[in-house]
Amino acid sequence: MEDLYPMLQNAIELEHSTIPPYLTALFSIRPGTSTEARKIVHSIVIEEMMHMTIAANILNAIGGKPQINNPRFVPVYPGPLPMGIAQGLIVGLEKYSLDVVKKVFMEIEEPENPLVLKSVEAPTYATIGQFYLAIQKKIEEIAPYDLPGNKAFQVTSSFFDSALLFPIYTKTDAINAIDIIVEQGEGTSISPVDQDGEIAHYYRFEELVRQRKLIQDDHAPHGYSFTGEPIVYNPADVNPMYPNTKINMLQPGTEEWYNLAHFNKSYFSLLSGLHKTFNGEPAELNNTIGIMYDLKLIAEKLGATPFPGRAGYTIGPSFEFNGQLPV
Amino acid sequence: MSYLHTPRLVFTGDFLSDVSTVNNDPAHYNNQTFIPDFQKPGQGSTNGWWNPEGGAIFDFRHCLVKQISFPDGKNTADPAADIAIGQIVMGSEGRPTGKMVDIDPDAQMYSALWCVQITICTADNELLFQGDLETTSFRDIQMRQTDGAPNNGQALGATWTSVLKNITWGAKANQSRFLSLLRNTTQENKLSVNMNAFGYYYAHNDGRFSMGRILGSIGPYFSNEPITFAPTRRMYGVYIPKGRTTYFSTCNFLVEQEARRVTIDLGACLPVVNSIGTIDLGVPLYLAICKSSLSFAPDAKNPACYVPLQELVEIGEVKYVNGNDWISITGGVISFDNIPYERMKLLEDHQLVLVTPVQGQSDRFLVIAREAVDGLVARAEEFVLRIDCHETKKVKFHAYQWGRPLSGATITTKMQPPTPDTPLGPQNPISIIYGNNFPQDGLSYDSSVTTGSDGTAEIFIHGNPIHSPRHYIDGQIYMFDYSLNSVDPAFGTENIIVHLRDEFETIQNPVWGDIQPIMIQYGNLYPIMSRYIATFADPEALIEKKNIFIFAFSRSIEDTMHMPVTRDLSEGKRQTILNWFNNPVVRTDEKSVSHQLTSRHSNPTPSDTPLTDNQRKYKEAVKAKNGSLPAFPAIENLFEN
Repeated sequence: MEDLYPMLQNAIELEHSTIPPYLTALFSIRPGTSTEARKIVHSIVIEEMMHMTIAANILNAIGGKPQINNPRFVPVYPGPLPMGIAQGLIVGLEKYSLDVVKKVFMEIEEPENPLVLKSVEAPTYATIGQFYLAIQKKIEEIAPYDLPGNKAFQVTSSFFDSALLFPIYTKTDAINAIDIIVEQGEGTSISPVDQDGEIAHYYRFEELVRQRKLIQDDHAPHGYSFTGEPIVYNPADVNPMYPNTKINMLQPGTEEWYNLAHFNKSYFSLLSGLHKTFNGEPAELNNTIGIMYDLKLIAEKLGATPFPGRAGYTIGPSFEFNGQLPV
Repeated sequence: MSYLHTPRLVFTGDFLSDVSTVNNDPAHYNNQTFIPDFQKPGQGSTNGWWNPEGGAIFDFRHCLVKQISFPDGKNTADPAADIAIGQIVMGSEGRPTGKMVDIDPDAQMYSALWCVQITICTADNELLFQGDLETTSFRDIQMRQTDGAPNNGQALGATWTSVLKNITWGAKANQSRFLSLLRNTTQENKLSVNMNAFGYYYAHNDGRFSMGRILGSIGPYFSNEPITFAPTRRMYGVYIPKGRTTYFSTCNFLVEQEARRVTIDLGACLPVVNSIGTIDLGVPLYLAICKSSLSFAPDAKNPACYVPLQELVEIGEVKYVNGNDWISITGGVISFDNIPYERMKLLEDHQLVLVTPVQGQSDRFLVIAREAVDGLVARAEEFVLRIDCHETKKVKFHAYQWGRPLSGATITTKMQPPTPDTPLGPQNPISIIYGNNFPQDGLSYDSSVTTGSDGTAEIFIHGNPIHSPRHYIDGQIYMFDYSLNSVDPAFGTENIIVHLRDEFETIQNPVWGDIQPIMIQYGNLYPIMSRYIATFADPEALIEKKNIFIFAFSRSIEDTMHMPVTRDLSEGKRQTILNWFNNPVVRTDEKSVSHQLTSRHSNPTPSDTPLTDNQRKYKEAVKAKNGSLPAFPAIENLFEN
């Protein structure tokens, strides 16, 4: 089953890699404005966090050890997603805009996009879904019905529906959990909603681009159309965060530098907390929720702070951890 | 044992304290008169002071272990000597930072650290040890900066003393002889810790907004010793230079007879010329024993006291070094070793003094600070209390004479008289501000107690039902003075602060109207929550986030994510809020409106009643702490005389 470990570790990294770009867009929307757009991005990013947890639970269930708190885990933005998913699409940390939703976020979640993989030795998959299907298939082939991992390591949370985030004890649990990830991301092959009737990420992002809610529509192909309530979004509600802000763009020792360093320190603290959570201390998940709120508050304040020397821009969250302990 | 005992480590660096400031003004608690301007930064009561969007974060920044001291008196700051030196001192990792909060707008001199962790690890994140700081509040606030704090805005410093509990020792600690020794010496898996803070920035200058300097010491802890102060001897400042205020106002020192050693923590009181902690004292300082008893306390007319040379027995020169490095390495903690036996004998029942020569006179010295009269010290362990009606809390006193537990000592505790209401007027433009300490029968307590053979004594304070004596602020603040029979005129009495909460019975099925005033007030006072998390005046917005609110309101008070962060809600109100979130009913009943804000107490003190001396000093001290007094101009050559 060791063959599955790197695949699941890749899955954790893939799910995580979408979170900073989505959060950056989310944090750029000024508090209390463009509420509908904010809710949609928020709902997606929360599910990415759940997918990351599911992937970690499966890795734990088969006896592996998720690796979260090291610099290799942290993607460099702008850059490709892990395993070159979405055909090497370059993903950055940018403020919210219809353009970034359409050209980046929808591309990430695009159901039909084939994957381009980094390594020639690695197996190739046509889509994210197929990547997960390959994991599913491998589990089916080699895993015993009762999975060998320590059951006490499984992470669940009152913040998620227990029908979606549940402990992975058996092969069936693992297979069902992967179905949830795939369907929440892509929908099913015949509908934009998953089996629970929830709209898949790709189509929720499309709602943002079309600025209309997706609703059931018996006259439309597949039974849905973007003819619901308008999604009011005003570009003036978005703080002009400098794309792919890095801490070395700021003068060390300035208040702005300290504030961004504070953000990165909290991000590192979050990764450390998640590492503990997924390595035998599941109760630590509660503590990481507090850090997520800290990150949000720091990032939103940064987003309102003018970027010294870059007129017209504010400071973005940089999600940097280079391996050096932040002090 | 204490933080001044060995094995001891010193760490220094910066701290971050992102306290919120809308709640610094009692009038801002009045929902009826609150306007959005009170959430904007700016000075004075008509806006939100210097950090309205503060989030109460407390954390360490750039802190490193600088020096270690061994029981044989050897100190070293050389990383080659022990791996502990040079390591990183930081807060939590994997959970939110600790918090720093005041208990109440009427009690702002007791800023407390909650849920702070101290972690010492290598740059590769290998743990040496980590512990949880027992909650503790500021003590010994005193003047530190002589430049008038033009860059940072706060010239005062203060001290937090506590213990680290639940210590986890990392495997790496075994490689340190020092840490192994510390671990083997200390008891109950706790460590003593003391942190002297100063140079705090209210101002957006030098990149240091909401940061300050911190000098920390960690030493062994022994069972049954006090937590929130060190069981040591104490010195008080008795010199007012140039018509200002005392410097070296309070500090701890330890006398170890067997080791023939005196260790003094000047890190708590040494004057610094700027916010970074640069020392530039133009005079030599000496520690000496005074053969005669000194009880002098300065005032404007008699700012100084001198002692003839023949009355002094030298302990040694305080070899401070001007500049930034010395204090940053030593933390200002200095030991004098190999003191001759006869001097140690004299120290057993004579006062230690800090003196400097008088220019042009070789026969007498200026006394900058002297030990407590007769070496008497009595302090309360639990000096900041949150009490619900019908609840009883304990206060334990420890009395010492010459550093030894003092039995048979009487400690008197007295509630201060009510302070008058402040009516509306040019100086108080927003709302009536109600006085404190009434109704006087709100608390029942033992006013006098005698220490037992171990030098300790306990009293109990019981909360009686009160009903909104301050109308728009929950409960009441009561301030007690306590002291031994003799009060040191240079130090005065110390205080116990109680926030007694209003009587409030949990409502099992509350409607929005039942919690609305609490939530609106919270949203007003903490824009970090109302702007960034949810509009607290809008029940629908709260319902949308109800899972996270249920999460936060149900955390234990010892959990860093506990809501409210100020920890100022009675159990009845907190439970009612939780009940509402669990079954939110968006309705305002007549009943819920009528029981709010009906004070059943009137202030017995007319508004033109003058404050007592202690109350007046306290009020001035709060203003100074909040940076709302005009800054002192710079003062040079502090002790030139």
